[in-house]
Amino acid sequence: MPQFDHEPPKWALWFLQLYCKPRVREIIEGDAYELFYKRVETEGLKVAKRKFGWDVLRFFRPKYIKGLEDINSLNNIVMFKNYFKISVRSLVRQKFYSIINISGLSLGLAACLLIMLYITNELSYDNFHKDVDRIYRIANNQSGQYTPARLGAQSKMEFPEIEEVVRLTGPYDQTFKVNNQIFKESEGFTADSTFHKIFTVQFLEGNPDQALTEPNSIVLTESLAVKLFPNKEAYGELITVSGNSLKVTGVVADPPKNTHFHYNFIESFPHESWITVGNWTGNNFFTYAKLVAGATPESVEARYPDFVAKYVGPDLVQYTGHTSYEEYLAEGGRQGTFTLKPMKDLHLYYPHMALGSQGNINNVYIFSAVAVFILLIASINFMNLSTARSAARSKEVGMRKVLGSRRTQLVYQFLVESMMISVLAMILSMGLASLVLGGFNELANRNFSYTDLLAPSTLFLLFGLVLIVGLLAGSYPAFYLSGFNPLRALKGENKAGGGNVFLRKGLVAFQFAISIFLIISTMIVFSQLRFMGQQKLGFQPEQIMVVKNTGLLREKLSAFKNQLLQKPNIESLTLTNQYVSSRIADWGYSTVEDNPRSFNLMNMFTTDDFLETMGLELVEGRFYSNDLASDSAVAVINESAKKELGFENVIGKKVSRGDGADYTIVGVVKDFNYESLKRSIEPLILRRMFEDGRMEADWYGGNYLSLKVTGNFGETVKQVESEWNAMVQDEPFDFVFLDDSFNSLYEEERRFGKLFTVSSGLAIAIACLGLFALAAFTLERRRKEIAVRKVIGASVKSLTMLVVSDFTKLVVIGALIAIPVGYWIMQDWLATFAYQININNPLLFVVPVVLVSVIAWLTVGFQSVKTATSNPVKALRSE
Amino acid sequence: MQRINLGEFEELVLLIVAILNDNAYGISVMEEIENQTGRKVNISAVHSALDRLESKDFLKSEVGGATNERGGRRKRFFTVTVAGNKALNFVREQRNRLHEQIPNIDFGLNQYASI
Repeated sequence: MPQFDHEPPKWALWFLQLYCKPRVREIIEGDAYELFYKRVETEGLKVAKRKFGWDVLRFFRPKYIKGLEDINSLNNIVMFKNYFKISVRSLVRQKFYSIINISGLSLGLAACLLIMLYITNELSYDNFHKDVDRIYRIANNQSGQYTPARLGAQSKMEFPEIEEVVRLTGPYDQTFKVNNQIFKESEGFTADSTFHKIFTVQFLEGNPDQALTEPNSIVLTESLAVKLFPNKEAYGELITVSGNSLKVTGVVADPPKNTHFHYNFIESFPHESWITVGNWTGNNFFTYAKLVAGATPESVEARYPDFVAKYVGPDLVQYTGHTSYEEYLAEGGRQGTFTLKPMKDLHLYYPHMALGSQGNINNVYIFSAVAVFILLIASINFMNLSTARSAARSKEVGMRKVLGSRRTQLVYQFLVESMMISVLAMILSMGLASLVLGGFNELANRNFSYTDLLAPSTLFLLFGLVLIVGLLAGSYPAFYLSGFNPLRALKGENKAGGGNVFLRKGLVAFQFAISIFLIISTMIVFSQLRFMGQQKLGFQPEQIMVVKNTGLLREKLSAFKNQLLQKPNIESLTLTNQYVSSRIADWGYSTVEDNPRSFNLMNMFTTDDFLETMGLELVEGRFYSNDLASDSAVAVINESAKKELGFENVIGKKVSRGDGADYTIVGVVKDFNYESLKRSIEPLILRRMFEDGRMEADWYGGNYLSLKVTGNFGETVKQVESEWNAMVQDEPFDFVFLDDSFNSLYEEERRFGKLFTVSSGLAIAIACLGLFALAAFTLERRRKEIAVRKVIGASVKSLTMLVVSDFTKLVVIGALIAIPVGYWIMQDWLATFAYQININNPLLFVVPVVLVSVIAWLTVGFQSVKTATSNPVKALRSE
Repeated sequence: MQRINLGEFEELVLLIVAILNDNAYGISVMEEIENQTGRKVNISAVHSALDRLESKDFLKSEVGGATNERGGRRKRFFTVTVAGNKALNFVREQRNRLHEQIPNIDFGLNQYASI
């Protein structure tokens, strides 16, 4: 019989063997084989094989599946139903404990849920870009964000590893004029035409390859296109920007939120020369490179030192006045290089290189730690209350054991109970989290919506967390309770208090430690913030108002200044190219002497009324003056710069920019904080700006007008604004007061402070809940003891102290753990500030400990007094 | 009224097993169903029905000898029990009784009678 030589598909046989009960397998297999052989004859081998597989799949029914033993499985389901029922009953009977358990856990889970949302979002930055693993940002030396114009193009030419490069500048604000309507738009960038080859962008209109090839082209995001050109296609339309016409050559989908640079529009580079030539010494561009598949960033980095010698070297030599690059290096000149940073690390690891996104890997760590802390505290509550209550359940455990319960079944029972509590808490926590989402967004400086919160990935994580918490928190009570000796349990011989008292006390002490640590951190963060707010800057920031964009006034500048000076509220004003507290660039200078030394000095151009307007103090010499015609090549430095330059007598010494012009130092101003107090005062050089805003080489630089104002600030702002609107049509009035500007530099720290306040508040609240319940429980167990003591003559005071001192010991243990840890960690945090508070101030540590003690005393004391004042007869009458 | 727990397909299988007498096992029952009614059923459905009937004590089974056509595997033969016979008879009598009570009105089409 030839058909018997064929065999049915192997996988089907294997599958059958896998699932089928041995008892019925032979019969099923037999029938399937018989059908197979018959079909081979009638319908052919192929069909027979397919049908054999189908038959096997159809036999996959509960009745035939191994392991699902009918009688046993029914019994298990019934038992689970019973566990469930008992759990509900015990929850309902002990409402007080249940509410504390569930509410504490749901608070903790809600905090975790939000923090998980934050962390997953942080880690997802830039992952949407295609081939993100091959995209790198080229950094100047180790981490300089600006790179020379020529770098990208030359690197691509020289290195086979580099597939494509793009240069960006930005972000900047731009004022658009469309059909006589003015739009002020931010987050603009200028980019090479290869933009779309590096970054993943979706073009809705226009040709990606040609969008940015011509000067005066602009690509808009969808939302901006809709805003500027409602109800029509933006492609091909014209936009006027300060007199120039830009052509819309493309519309792209809005980039996702989780990217290190968020753009509203991209312009092409305005001059051909920027693209084709470009120099090596001006660092003005962000350069991105995409490597070919398989190339390592290290191999590219290894090529850069030679590259720098070949291309950057000649420019450097000319600029520093050396004869060769080798000589430049030999005389201590720094050897430049370039490094590659993975683009997906920019957001978290190199936030200063990210273009607008404010990520911080430390925040991720801190947020995670806070989440873990809060969850730990909530879980500890859970464990403590469960074990503490165990005595009440010991009779139930004994009875179950007598009736034949195995230990594993008891473990299951308690795990079911803890899982039930955690799932309840999870549902509550989702409600809680959506309630506080707005506040959390402010805290984390992110924009999460409810859809983010309820995204499947977040919920999946949350569910995983709940499983872990339920198992961890439930496992100790489960294993402890299930180990009871049934005889003793039924006789009620389990020792009072139940559970491992040491473990429980240790966990409570740990909770105190976390609370104290969080309060210490909060206090230190806020003291530091207050300290920086009170720090003398060397001038009065609240009196200085900076008017921005004064470059647009052009020929009306002096008229504008004269109008303002006539106002009684404006004492004086000064025109500058940067304003204090904003980003000030450093320029290279070298001394004019036999062996020139080079320095990087923070460089600012100001008119001669800078000193008076800012209210600075002159230490030596004089300030430059517009009345002296000879004062064109002079400069004033600050004390730090004097120290840096190292001259004994600095007045009259000259510094050079290497282009032939020397600047004579005529004065020294007292150090003042022109930057964030996180940094110490760096060497500063002030150079003269002419009254009409011209600075070095007749470049125009008068972009900011600082006014010293007195009297009613609101009124002054209105006056200045009306003057502005009378003279400038296309640009809205924009201004800032320096104290606000300085404060905004500490935004991150303030957020940090708020985060610690919220988390320590939450941690303490949850810990108190647990403490309250635990104290109630302890007092209940000791009611008779206290009554006896009272009958014998103890006072209410001594009885209260008896209980309170127990808990105070735990606070002390907690403090012993928290203080060194807090000291060590916060010292690290403070190290990022140039101006620090004194961390050795004992108040910073004593106050949190006292605070936690007081909270603990109040929580425990209230109940102790209640028990101690109650009539002892009530407690003792049953004996 | 006494109730016999016997589904439509179960009844069919039970009848087929009764018809096949000594040669009722999975495949033969399946083929006979197809021959008699033209109804195509999967072998697993037949097995399932046979198992159910056995657990209701309407059928009993014994394992027969190995044959070559099944790759050396044995067959499981089913026979109708006394309870199974009783159930068949009960259902049949009940049906007949009900059929006889249908009023003899001619609707032109006799379709309803065949339900």
